[in-house]
Amino acid sequence: MNNLGGLCMWLGLLALIISSLGYLFLLLKPDPVGIKTTARLGFTAFTGCVTVASISLMLAILGNDFVFSYVARYSSRDLPLIYRISSFWAGQEGSFLLWVFLGAWLGLFLIYQSGSQEPRVMLVYNLSNLFLMILLIKQSPFHMLAVAPADGNGMNMLLQDPWMAIHPPIVFLGYAAYAIPFAFAINALWSRDYDGWIKPGLPWAIFAYVTLGAGIIIGGFWSYKVLGWGGYWGWDPVENASLLPWLAGTALVHGMILQDTKKQLRKTNFFLVTFAFVLVIYCTFLTRSGILADFSVHSFTDLGITGLLVLFMGVFIALAVWLLAMRWKDLPAPAKTEIAYFSREFGFIAAIALLCMSCLVTGLGTSAPLITRMMAKASKVSTDFYVQTNLPLAVLILLLLSFVPLMAFGRNQPSRLIKKLPWAVAGAVIALAVTGWHGMFDTRSLLIAIPAGGATGLNLALATGLARRHFSLASGALVHLGVGLMFLGIVASSMYDRSEKQRFFQGATKPAFGYAITLSAPQVVGHGKGERLELPLDIEKGKARFLARPDIYVERKKGGQLQRFIHPYIKRGIFSDLYISPVDYDSGRKKAPSNQIVIKKGQTIHRDPYAITFNGFDIRGMGQNTLTGISVGARLTVAYKTEASVDLTPVLNMGQGQTNAADHREKLPGQEAAFVSLVQINADEKTVTLVYEGSSVNTEKAQNAEKPKASVILDVSIKPGMTLLWVGTFLMLFGGVVGIIRRRPR
Amino acid sequence: MKIKKAHITGGVVIVLAMGLAFNAFQSALTPYVTVAEAMAHERAVQVAGITVKGSDQYDLDTNKLVFTLREDGGAKMVVEYDGARPGNFDDATKIVAIGCYAKEKAVFEASELLVKCPTKYEGRVSGE
Repeated sequence: MNNLGGLCMWLGLLALIISSLGYLFLLLKPDPVGIKTTARLGFTAFTGCVTVASISLMLAILGNDFVFSYVARYSSRDLPLIYRISSFWAGQEGSFLLWVFLGAWLGLFLIYQSGSQEPRVMLVYNLSNLFLMILLIKQSPFHMLAVAPADGNGMNMLLQDPWMAIHPPIVFLGYAAYAIPFAFAINALWSRDYDGWIKPGLPWAIFAYVTLGAGIIIGGFWSYKVLGWGGYWGWDPVENASLLPWLAGTALVHGMILQDTKKQLRKTNFFLVTFAFVLVIYCTFLTRSGILADFSVHSFTDLGITGLLVLFMGVFIALAVWLLAMRWKDLPAPAKTEIAYFSREFGFIAAIALLCMSCLVTGLGTSAPLITRMMAKASKVSTDFYVQTNLPLAVLILLLLSFVPLMAFGRNQPSRLIKKLPWAVAGAVIALAVTGWHGMFDTRSLLIAIPAGGATGLNLALATGLARRHFSLASGALVHLGVGLMFLGIVASSMYDRSEKQRFFQGATKPAFGYAITLSAPQVVGHGKGERLELPLDIEKGKARFLARPDIYVERKKGGQLQRFIHPYIKRGIFSDLYISPVDYDSGRKKAPSNQIVIKKGQTIHRDPYAITFNGFDIRGMGQNTLTGISVGARLTVAYKTEASVDLTPVLNMGQGQTNAADHREKLPGQEAAFVSLVQINADEKTVTLVYEGSSVNTEKAQNAEKPKASVILDVSIKPGMTLLWVGTFLMLFGGVVGIIRRRPR
Repeated sequence: MKIKKAHITGGVVIVLAMGLAFNAFQSALTPYVTVAEAMAHERAVQVAGITVKGSDQYDLDTNKLVFTLREDGGAKMVVEYDGARPGNFDDATKIVAIGCYAKEKAVFEASELLVKCPTKYEGRVSGE
């Protein structure tokens, strides 16, 4: 079988349908013998098929089997092993397969874990996998070419980075996981067990938060390290597409915790879980349907799956809304309807509202091309929009984090706060002092920095206190400490970064931010399909000396196009990073003065040491047959220094395929190798374009001049607070992992 | 049924927030326009076209990338971009410049360049 993978996809689809039918039967007739086993076996067979399909795709990639169109498009013989593996998910079809593969394996855990809720949970979960399988059969990674090309297209240079190799699997693990709390929630509505989905669903919701969050952060880390623009977040649709479900999912985690402890927000949580899950599909739709093709630096291609994705969304929204409407009256009201303003509950609700608002405005901005297309011309929003709208929300979230974690559920006495609040105040004061010490009293940064300092201070104190009692109790405090640190890092790196562009000549030392930078000899090194222009920089600061080697990589693609990749150099430090990005390179070789001369009839042009006069056209081949074409000559009079002038008639053959001017060039008097030829005529304006070959006074001068000096324009910047940012994001995820362990099903 | 005070407050806050967000949304929109339209209104827009071959150069005094953009209809304008030359700039099949036209300088000041290249790859190709 030479297309095992393609066959496995069909078998997998069949197994999944059998599994779904089995679970459906199980609901209609309680517990007929063997049906449950069939349903489970069906799902296991589906997992097996998807796994075999994935392995066969991987083997095709590793074995350079370019008969598969997918392998030919994304892999190549010269790719290192690690990137050959990651080319599995470099394209759309492969990443959908990865999504299904991860979803299938998560499903095996789900069968094991869901217990009595299994039939309905698995039915809903199967439905989401069914849609992905249909997508995959429509757009299969196992499509075969009639003739296998000798080599594949290979992988985009920018993606050849270890971080980018692991980014997609982690994102898709998160995407796959969002279906699980949704499946539990649908089961809860269906079976009228409105609280029973929280305990088993919460660890999965946190798992999705951690994995998708890790994917987003790895993406940012890669962007900073590889792209060379010095940032880690650009509000590009592709970035937003992973942020939106993550924000909704983070709101969901808060809602589920509140329902778990206080039986509040039953209805809200059904909305949230649907929102988060549908956003996963919506964002897939936004980034995979080609709708945003004109609005992103990422070139999306439409694979013809738009309709399916819309259907996919519609079915799940309809299912959730219909069930919720059916059960609305039946849903029990919370035990206590009144919520004190000064309570932990209120903080939770406010956090959910703020996270949802952030999700909505970011979603509004990302969907702008879609919305405006319906009204008038499609437009996108500038990135300022995201900053402007999210800034006040972030300030409020950080303010909440500076005191809410201190409060207990129910009514709180202000005296309770007094004990630990000094930590928040201390954090805020330190943040203010540091900002002030740098003399940057910018409103925006102070608005974020002060509450971020408060949140950091308070949650640091809480985390250490709680961890002493039992480490897992500190999960929330760790996450919130991470949020505080991350925002401090964002303020420092985006508002206090300093940057300057300078031209550095080879051998000459120039200062930049206290560093003395010298460009030594640039080297061109062959690498892969292109050339790497290495720019060795000697950098000195005080006694520290080091060599930086940013480079510009130029690759010639099929069809002869050139593509440039900039590789920045980053010197990471605890307080700040030194970030050097090459902008433009100049080899220093002077361009030869233009050897083209445009001359009008009757005109005389002086080109040392000649004076050339254009007297008129000499039309020779007129009337001849079209095979030989027409020959046109330009009657010239050329004077060389003081010698007597000569008449020359360079000729241009037209209408006869390619013309080669060099064959018809005329020798100029005087110099050894000096010629003139005719390359273009313009009968309307009575002008001709001549090409002059030979040395002139100008080029003689240039030859005597000093050797060419290479130079490079470097964008040198100092980015403070990057360590805070990365440590903060790590803690945000680490706290989540601790939370999964704390709330794991027992 | 008595409407709770909290609900009113919450409602007002939500309506206000949505109003503000919508306002920000409208003012942040950068519509796709032609070169002629971009030159007529000095507001943030995006213009698509191709680079006129050989017109791009790095201005040493201002450290800006300057090039001539020509749209499908043939209209041209000079674009100035304060940033690194995007990686696939030289062989872009299409360039989208996002920014404002400055009449007094007679250049389009781009804050962002979207570069479309003929690859099929649907991932990141270039940062800002």
